[in-house]
Amino acid sequence: MKNTWLLVQRYFSQEVRNSNVLFSLGLYLVGVAYLIYLLNGGSIPADKVWNTLLWIVVFFGAIQLSSRSFEFESNDYFHYYQTIAGPGATIIAKLLFNSAYIAVISAVTWGLFIVFFGNPVFNNSLFGLALLLGSIGCSVVLTLTSGVAQRTQGNATLGAILALPLLLPILQLTSALNLQAIVGIPTIEASNLLGSLGALDIGIGLLAYLLFPYLWQD
Amino acid sequence: MKGLPYKIAGLLLILFSLTYGLWSEVPELPIIEQSIRNLFYHVSMWFAMVVMMAVSFGNAIGFLSSENMARDRRSISLAETGMFFSVMGLLTGMLWAKFTWGAWWTNDPKLNGTAITMLIYMAYFVLRNTIDDPRKRARISAVYNIFAFVMMIVFIGILPRMTDSLHPGNGGNPGFNSYDLDNRLRLVFYPAVLGWVLVGTWIASLRYRIRNLEE
Repeated sequence: MKNTWLLVQRYFSQEVRNSNVLFSLGLYLVGVAYLIYLLNGGSIPADKVWNTLLWIVVFFGAIQLSSRSFEFESNDYFHYYQTIAGPGATIIAKLLFNSAYIAVISAVTWGLFIVFFGNPVFNNSLFGLALLLGSIGCSVVLTLTSGVAQRTQGNATLGAILALPLLLPILQLTSALNLQAIVGIPTIEASNLLGSLGALDIGIGLLAYLLFPYLWQD
Repeated sequence: MKGLPYKIAGLLLILFSLTYGLWSEVPELPIIEQSIRNLFYHVSMWFAMVVMMAVSFGNAIGFLSSENMARDRRSISLAETGMFFSVMGLLTGMLWAKFTWGAWWTNDPKLNGTAITMLIYMAYFVLRNTIDDPRKRARISAVYNIFAFVMMIVFIGILPRMTDSLHPGNGGNPGFNSYDLDNRLRLVFYPAVLGWVLVGTWIASLRYRIRNLEE
């Protein structure tokens, strides 16, 4: 557990030090949100479209993030950390870090959308909860698939190809929840969907934890 | 010829479902009318596909625990056969949809599930092609296979039940069970499923043996 925490801290400090990447991600989010605003002629999209656009922006941001998820630890570096911390701690740290990162991306995107298009959401806490659970799910899929892609020796587009179909169930479930939050259904009544999304997150998280060590055997 | 009995049994069962399926008595229902016979040909494809994918998934787990390369060859051969069934299921389904719902493609959870299943397994084939070292390819694709199968089950088995669907048994549409996936239909449907599973096993075993020869 201590190892995991240290690794998470290391990932964060690495990210902050590499502010160039952070900046480009932020620029991407603002740029795309503004692009949508421009192309839409400054009018406010319907609720469903609003939600779809939000997820498309988050989706590509997350893909971009994950494509360099294992970039820093190609080869020797990775094996070094692997031997110190072990694969279990590594995958948990990666999952925590990526979940937090994607959650921040989706929160920032939501903020940008509020600025440009207003906030159609009635039940904000449910919406936020859905975004958080969706981010966790996305991060599990993206972490595993970018690990897979990394093992094929740096085929950058492969990660996106592998992740895309696996992300769709999570995105569909999350956006169904988001739509309920937009309409303003009380959180209690959405607990069925919330529960299944949470269960899905936990399930695939466990699966990723179990499968990850096999990925790194040589 | 190895496994002759099951191959003959599979062929006979399919022959039975193809012929008797056309002249057996079926329930007369509005809209669906005589196209209800497609149940034998369309739904049995999905059953066969899920069986193939499940055994492929089992072999992927078997590979990770045993490092036995034969398991990997079985896994990919079965996944390819499952893919074949899913294409067939999609085509028969599109035909059925055109004549009962009026469109080749509708925004239906089960159709989305199918499309995504096919995308997932295509990604699996792409992944396999990008790795040259056989042992590494086997291990990494087994990891993806396991993950992909679980996601597929979530998508085709769980999500459609939570949303409306045009398919019988969903979203206010009566299921075949509630009026009659009656014994007349069962009599042809179950043999068809069993027949296709057996023939699918045959196809997969042929592909597996070709792979063995290639090694």
